Amino acid sequence: MSAITETRRDSLLEAMVRVVGRKGYQATSVADVIEEAGTSRTTFYKHFDDKHDCFLSAYDMLVERVFDTIVAECDGEQPWLSRVRKGLATLIGIFAREPELARTAVVEVAVAGAEARQRHWDAVARFTEFLEDGREELDPGGELPKHISVMATGAVSGLIFDELVAGRTANLPSLMPDLLFAMLVPFIGPAAATEEMRRVVQAT
Amino acid sequence: MVARSQRERLLDAAVDVVAAKGYGATTVADLTKEAGVSRTTFYEHFKDKEACFLAAFDTAADVLARRIGAAFETEEAWPDRVRAGLAALLESLAGEPQIARLALVDIGSAGPQAQRRYRAALQRMTPFFDEGRDFAPGGRRLPANTSRMVVGAVTGLVSDEIEAGRADRLPEMLPEVLFASLVPYLGPAAAANAVGER
Repeated sequence: MSAITETRRDSLLEAMVRVVGRKGYQATSVADVIEEAGTSRTTFYKHFDDKHDCFLSAYDMLVERVFDTIVAECDGEQPWLSRVRKGLATLIGIFAREPELARTAVVEVAVAGAEARQRHWDAVARFTEFLEDGREELDPGGELPKHISVMATGAVSGLIFDELVAGRTANLPSLMPDLLFAMLVPFIGPAAATEEMRRVVQAT
Repeated sequence: MVARSQRERLLDAAVDVVAAKGYGATTVADLTKEAGVSRTTFYEHFKDKEACFLAAFDTAADVLARRIGAAFETEEAWPDRVRAGLAALLESLAGEPQIARLALVDIGSAGPQAQRRYRAALQRMTPFFDEGRDFAPGGRRLPANTSRMVVGAVTGLVSDEIEAGRADRLPEMLPEVLFASLVPYLGPAAAANAVGER
C-alpha cells in the first residue's frame, strides 16, 4: 500500500469513528463517512466491502490507539496501584477529550453486530490482563477469585456506559474517584480503596 | 398447549427469532411467521420491530426482577439475601438461555432506546445491594455509586458466560457473582468467608 493510499484509508477509519459516535451506528451511511473523510466513494470501496467492514477496521484502529496511549503513559509505573490509577486516568482523559470516540468504543460497538461485540470483549479482556498483575503483587497466596479482574472491569465499564448513554461524557473525569474505587475494591477492600479515592480527590 | 394471546405469541417470537438471527437481521415478517399471526395483527399491537422487541425485554426484566425480589425476601441477613437473590437470577437465566441472551446481550444491540431501557432495568437491582451500606461496618462511607458498581460487576460476569454460549452453566458462577456483590462492602477476606459459608 502506498503512503497516500494508507493515509486515505486511515482518514476513512477516523471518519467512521467520529460519525458513528455522533449519529449512532444504525443511522450512519457510507455517504456520511465519505463526506466526513473528504474522499470519494471509489476510494471507500477500494478499501472496504461495506459499512460494517469499515467499522470493524475502525474499531481495531481505535483500540490500538487507546492501548498505545495507555501503555506509553503508564508502562513501568510501580507499584501496581499507581499503574492502575494512571492507566484509568489516561483512558478517562481520552474519552473526555474525544466524546465521539468514547461513544463508538463503548456504546455503539454493541449495535454493530456480533463480530464487533467480540472485538469489544477482546479489548476489555486486554484491560483485564492489565489488572491481572495485581494478583501477583497483592495475593501471593492465590486466594482471590478467578474472575476478579472481570468484576473490576465490569463495574468500571457499567459506570462509564451509564454516563455515555445519558450524554454526560464531559462528566467522566469527575467520576474518576468512583471509577478507581470500583477497579480496586475487589483486590484491596473498601477501606484501602476509599483511601485511594481520597488521594485522587486531593490530587485534582 | 395453553392458548396464548396474539400479543404473547409475538413476544415469544421476538425472543426466539432475535436469539437465532440477532436483532439487526430480524424483520417484522420473521416475527409474524414465527408467531403465526398476520402483518395487520402485528401492527395492531406494535408500532414496529423495535417496539415488539422492547416489550419482550420489559416482560423478561419484570419476571427476573420479581424472581430476584421474592428470593431475596426469603432470607434475613443481608449476605444471605443477596445469595438467594443471585441464585434465583442465575437459575432463571440458565433455565431460559434465549431470555438470557435477549435480556443481557441482544438488548445492547437494539439501539439507543433499548440501551437506556437496559440500564434502567439494571438500576432496579441496586436497592438489594444498597442494604449492604447498613449491614457493613463503615458501609455508610462508601461511594454513593457502590451498588451500581456491583450491578456492573455482576452483569460483566454473567454476560461473558452468556456471550460464550455457557448460559446453562451460570449457576456454577454463584460463588464469584456473590463475591463480586459483597466485596465492596465487606472486603475480600470477609466476602470470601461469606461465600464459603453453607
